[in-house]
Amino acid sequence: MTRSMPITAPEAATDPPTPRVPDESRSRRRSRRVTAHPVAGALFVLPFFLVVVAFLIVPLGYAFWLSLSSKSLALGTRFSGVDNYVRAFTDPVLLDGLLRVVLFGLVQIPIMLGIALAGALTLDAVTTKFALAFRLIAFMPYAVPAVVGALMWGFLYSRTFGPFADLPTLVGGDPIDFFSSSLLLLSLGNIVTWAWTGYNMIILYSALQGVPREMYEAAVIDGATPVQIALRVKVPAIKQAISLAAIFTVIGTMQFFTEPAIMARFAPQISAGYTPNLYAYNQAFAYSDFHYSAALSFALGFLVFVVAYAFVFVNRRRGARS
Amino acid sequence: MLGTNWLAKVRMAKLGRALAVCGLLAVAACGGAAGEDDGPVRVSVWAWYPEFKGVVEAFNASHTDIQVDWTNVGTGPDQYAKLKTAFTAGKGAPDVAMVEFQQIPTFVILDALVDMGEHGANEDKDIYAEWAWSQATDGEKVYAIPVDGGPMALMYRKDLFDQHGIPVPTTWAEYADAAAKIKAVDPAAYIASFGSDGGWLNGLMWQAGCRPYGYSQAKAKDEVKINLTAPECEKVVDLYGDMVDKGLMAQDKFFTADATAALDSGKYWTWAAAGWTPGYVAGSLKNTAGKWAVAPMPQWTAGADEQGDWGGSTFTVTKQAKNPKAATTVARELFGRSKAAWDIGLNKAFLYPLVKDVAADPAFTGKAYEFFNGQKVNEIFVPVSEKLGEFQYTPFQDFVFKDLNDRTAEAMSGGREWSTVLEETQKNVVAYAEKQGFKVSR
Repeated sequence: MTRSMPITAPEAATDPPTPRVPDESRSRRRSRRVTAHPVAGALFVLPFFLVVVAFLIVPLGYAFWLSLSSKSLALGTRFSGVDNYVRAFTDPVLLDGLLRVVLFGLVQIPIMLGIALAGALTLDAVTTKFALAFRLIAFMPYAVPAVVGALMWGFLYSRTFGPFADLPTLVGGDPIDFFSSSLLLLSLGNIVTWAWTGYNMIILYSALQGVPREMYEAAVIDGATPVQIALRVKVPAIKQAISLAAIFTVIGTMQFFTEPAIMARFAPQISAGYTPNLYAYNQAFAYSDFHYSAALSFALGFLVFVVAYAFVFVNRRRGARS
Repeated sequence: MLGTNWLAKVRMAKLGRALAVCGLLAVAACGGAAGEDDGPVRVSVWAWYPEFKGVVEAFNASHTDIQVDWTNVGTGPDQYAKLKTAFTAGKGAPDVAMVEFQQIPTFVILDALVDMGEHGANEDKDIYAEWAWSQATDGEKVYAIPVDGGPMALMYRKDLFDQHGIPVPTTWAEYADAAAKIKAVDPAAYIASFGSDGGWLNGLMWQAGCRPYGYSQAKAKDEVKINLTAPECEKVVDLYGDMVDKGLMAQDKFFTADATAALDSGKYWTWAAAGWTPGYVAGSLKNTAGKWAVAPMPQWTAGADEQGDWGGSTFTVTKQAKNPKAATTVARELFGRSKAAWDIGLNKAFLYPLVKDVAADPAFTGKAYEFFNGQKVNEIFVPVSEKLGEFQYTPFQDFVFKDLNDRTAEAMSGGREWSTVLEETQKNVVAYAEKQGFKVSR
């Protein structure tokens, strides 16, 4: 997920009044130069353009080309058109994995964003030194590499080394097996929530900073309670930041990979096709079927695109209605 | 999850570094190729043996015409993933790569390995244990040079068995009895763990007389035999499944911190392990060192002498080798009969040697191990290796082991009857093989 997302609500776009005239004349001058020297403009864009072509367009094109042929171990490689895609969308392993990440997302995303929003609203309302420290601490898990985080939680979940598994035995219960098939998704969800709540909290908090304080004053004068201000004024004001955070989280969830890949070292219940991305990885790097793996990746990318777009569409419709 | 972009960045960074390193290597290699008359041939090797640095140094010290550049790019699956990528890309593979026995047909069908028979490797046939040589070769074609093996035997806690008067099992029926007795004397203990390890389960099935796979590229590239539902195979899963269901077997995956701690705390009393296992775990089992002993594997029929193997590895020469002849020499002589190499291999890395002379050497068979309270455990492992017969693998063994692990995981969580595990794996593997263009027979 990209770190450089716009983190201010549109309401915040109103800059404090600055001398507008010189500013505008400067920009006019710039635009005149661009039309006069198209080569210079192209040169400025070129480095970025080259990087995008070399590391995005070309690999994507190559992967797509790969996905159009099939390789069978015994018969070799042949062009097969959309066969790989037909196979992907009827592959029970992929469909099971998809269903799993969708269920996972339906539970985990609302919980994580709910906590993040609550945290952001609290931070916004409380202005002490404690709040600053809390902000840093909440953000910290995001700074821990995902692989390290997953390994660390692997130990925390362990029955030998972790503090949690044996808790029920204090009251006479059975120890918890965090890697059992019934708890595995919860265990993974906990890691993801741990890693990303603080990050989303900071995004929402930053958006809250951009909301004009006058709105709160007006609400207070109208007799709103702090809770009403939070829910009726602040949340609607940062709606766009919330939906942006949600969209990136949905995309990330569809691409669920690192945590299950690491946890598979402890948990036999994580199968080869536990998540769609893990399945694509195994097809390429365990079964040497780079062609089918490329098709799986594109199919997944397509689904992510559809889901993300549907999300934006629904959000806009709702936004337009209200 | 959301960290995929972050991961991608790290991968790019690694790639960048790898490219830089490759560039340097390429320059070095170019130098070697251009000035073949004045300098030694440089051969790149990927391997993850412990203590391998000394072996490489010994080779380089004893050869003037060939020098080895060694890289450890990761253990097992990590290295294979890199190899498979390099073979698909057409470049980037080393000249010589360490490959485990069960992976040889997989790399053969990817057309990744040089037939070292063309460079005289058939001369080595009689040096190595027969079973190992037959797995490394296909008729006259020599795809791999054996290094170490994993003849299986039963590691057990002698002190605990003695203390509670439980006889050490000699048959699998006695093993199941012992499992129940252990649970009775210590409810927190288990006879062992069902470790969710394809190679381990495969070794147990091998010992039971199960020969589920057959493949020979020399005979027919597109014909493969899959027969996982033979009674010899089913009885292994039945026995272990029954012990798991009764709560007599733990379920920790092997080589995790949990499993190692359980071995060292008295939670597990036995481990049906391989010749290399003691060396692998001895360093981590500080509390219980000296309390373990090795017994021959329990038998399916009382008095029989059936044996199995878990793991073991070889050196292969890749099709991308710039000088296949020099690379073959490296594969044959890095260990081979090199005394210096085996000194390190036996005493520091604890490999089980597949070179018959080395395995038969009294220095090896007569070696007393402190970890086993002075027991000369190789007196047990060596006859096992000598007894091992032919066993073949499929050219898609990763898929077979992964599917088998996924199905046993379902059975462990109660989502599947143990009796259907092999049936389902058979079905999935046959479907996969047919999709890959193979004609499948039983």
